[in-house]
Amino acid sequence: MPSAIEITHLTKQFRGVLAVNDLSFEVAQGRVTGFLGPNGSGKTTTLRMLLGLVKVTGGSATFGGRPYQQIEEPVRHVGAVLEATSFHPSRRAEDHLKMVAMSAGIPLIRVEEVLDLVGLADVGRRRVGKFSLGMRQRLQLATALLGDPEILILDEPANGLDPQGIQWLRTFIRHQASTGRSVLVSSHLLSEMEETVDDVVIVSQGQLVLQTTLAELTTRAGTSTGMRVRSPEIGRFTDMLTASAITFRTIAPDTISIDGATPEWLGPILAEHRIVVYEVAYEKGSLEDVFLTLTHGFEAAVPGGPSSTNDPVMPAGYGYQSGTGTPAPPPPGIPEGFGGPPPSPPPPPGIPEGFGGPPPPPPAPLPGGPS
Amino acid sequence: MIRVVRAEWLKLRTTAVPWVLTGIAVLALGLTILGLFLQKPDFNQSSNAGYIVPHTTQQLNNLAGAGLSFGYLFALLLGVLCITTEFRHKTVTTAFLVTPNRPVFVVGKLILAALAGAALAVVLLVATLTGGGLALVARGGSFSSLLHQVPSVAPGMILVMALFGILGVGVGSLLTNQVAAIVTVLGWFIIGQTILVGLVNGAARWVPTGAASAAANVSQGHRDGAASFQLFNWWQGTLLMLAYGLVFAVIGSAVLTQRDIS
Repeated sequence: MPSAIEITHLTKQFRGVLAVNDLSFEVAQGRVTGFLGPNGSGKTTTLRMLLGLVKVTGGSATFGGRPYQQIEEPVRHVGAVLEATSFHPSRRAEDHLKMVAMSAGIPLIRVEEVLDLVGLADVGRRRVGKFSLGMRQRLQLATALLGDPEILILDEPANGLDPQGIQWLRTFIRHQASTGRSVLVSSHLLSEMEETVDDVVIVSQGQLVLQTTLAELTTRAGTSTGMRVRSPEIGRFTDMLTASAITFRTIAPDTISIDGATPEWLGPILAEHRIVVYEVAYEKGSLEDVFLTLTHGFEAAVPGGPSSTNDPVMPAGYGYQSGTGTPAPPPPGIPEGFGGPPPSPPPPPGIPEGFGGPPPPPPAPLPGGPS
Repeated sequence: MIRVVRAEWLKLRTTAVPWVLTGIAVLALGLTILGLFLQKPDFNQSSNAGYIVPHTTQQLNNLAGAGLSFGYLFALLLGVLCITTEFRHKTVTTAFLVTPNRPVFVVGKLILAALAGAALAVVLLVATLTGGGLALVARGGSFSSLLHQVPSVAPGMILVMALFGILGVGVGSLLTNQVAAIVTVLGWFIIGQTILVGLVNGAARWVPTGAASAAANVSQGHRDGAASFQLFNWWQGTLLMLAYGLVFAVIGSAVLTQRDIS
């Protein structure tokens, strides 16, 4: 597939800071590419180098082989949305667009067209200073569309948008791609973009972590599942888990999430120990988790990066394995008996039955866990 | 280039800056004209009058050119503001996306500011003829003698204010921080230059105001009392003024080309 944008060994050294480090990726024509990474990972700097606003230290960033500065009438080929703040507050929205159109030699009739396209037709005469953040984002999009460009570059376009605005943006981006445009859209949230993008480029600390298709990333995400439990007796339950060396994440004071757990494994345990639950939910691993793991793990691997405190994909020693015959030590703090009517059959006092005892029920096979 | 300048003109007129500056300039003009009418009369004339009616050639000439005495500062500010406002409101990002060649952007501003300075000069001249003319006629003076002074004043005033617009853009391209640029130019023209001229013998003809005063004589055909300051002749003054503006603009463009816009 021909590429619309080529980033080759791109490097940017700000005073003392290596913002972008030997970054290489391509944006395919006619597809939506998500440019993802945590805040401060060099996404904006990369896009600004691509657009000729920031000087390149090393490598190159080109459109079909040509740097932005060498494109004739660049706004007719590349439309960019960079930040919602670059307007003169006392200028009317349509004057802002007219001024861009005029200096780019675009017929002024386009101004009304693009205002209509982004849903700002009614407020074109208003001063931008009175616009909400969402309206400014739309006006930026309108500006980018003025020249009817074949390539769109959007830097965090969802920032400041309300849920309806984000929904609108998704539809908008998909529509642009359906008309053959290539879109490069950055975000620090994969969830914002997962319904929108075809390809993903993930960066962290100015370096490429992964370039792949969304489909491939989704396959990875599908391997990670778990159960969420909300209970008024969560302390008793987590003590049991701790004693059995089963990892969990605390989501709220009364809610935990157990990676890799299945309903078939969890249900009998809860029943056996008569733990009152308010909520039990099956958690399918989200793309966001994979994204976090990738960027987080990457940071941990880079000297000086924040250290990874857990392994969100598949904790080692994960899962309770009853077949090994090694009984778990009695968890401290688990009250003898269970307070309610004695379960049938009653468990031996002090040791929660089912934790470390013989199989019933066997845990579901857990991918990645010891077996 | 023409469309860049047209777009720059649209940019300028769609903000409040030029209109507020013009408004203040016209207000200042009113006060200046009032001052000319309230000048102490000559001692050898009837001394009980609290005002004078300009009637000598020099007085009428001063009245016609009243706008220039302060108008040059407004042309300068117009130049400074039209470029620094792009950085202040970050609209320069959009400007550089449309015009990636940054020197072209500066040239567009230079032309715009020259035209805007000239336009402000025309506005002030018309306001002078209207306001000053009315006052003159009300005091029994001759409007046609005032009108006769226009050809000797107008070309110099338009030229000088265009040159100050260029100088403003030049300084603004180098000092893109709006507040810093305004403080610098006002500080120089109100204080710094006066000190320099007082301390350094012969500096008067070289400073921008001296060069501009020389340029203002374009249509006077003589140095008109300027001999005491040893000013250049009008075209030398014009070239010197232009050189100041363009040197700043060239350095500013070079710095701007290397700058990261983030």
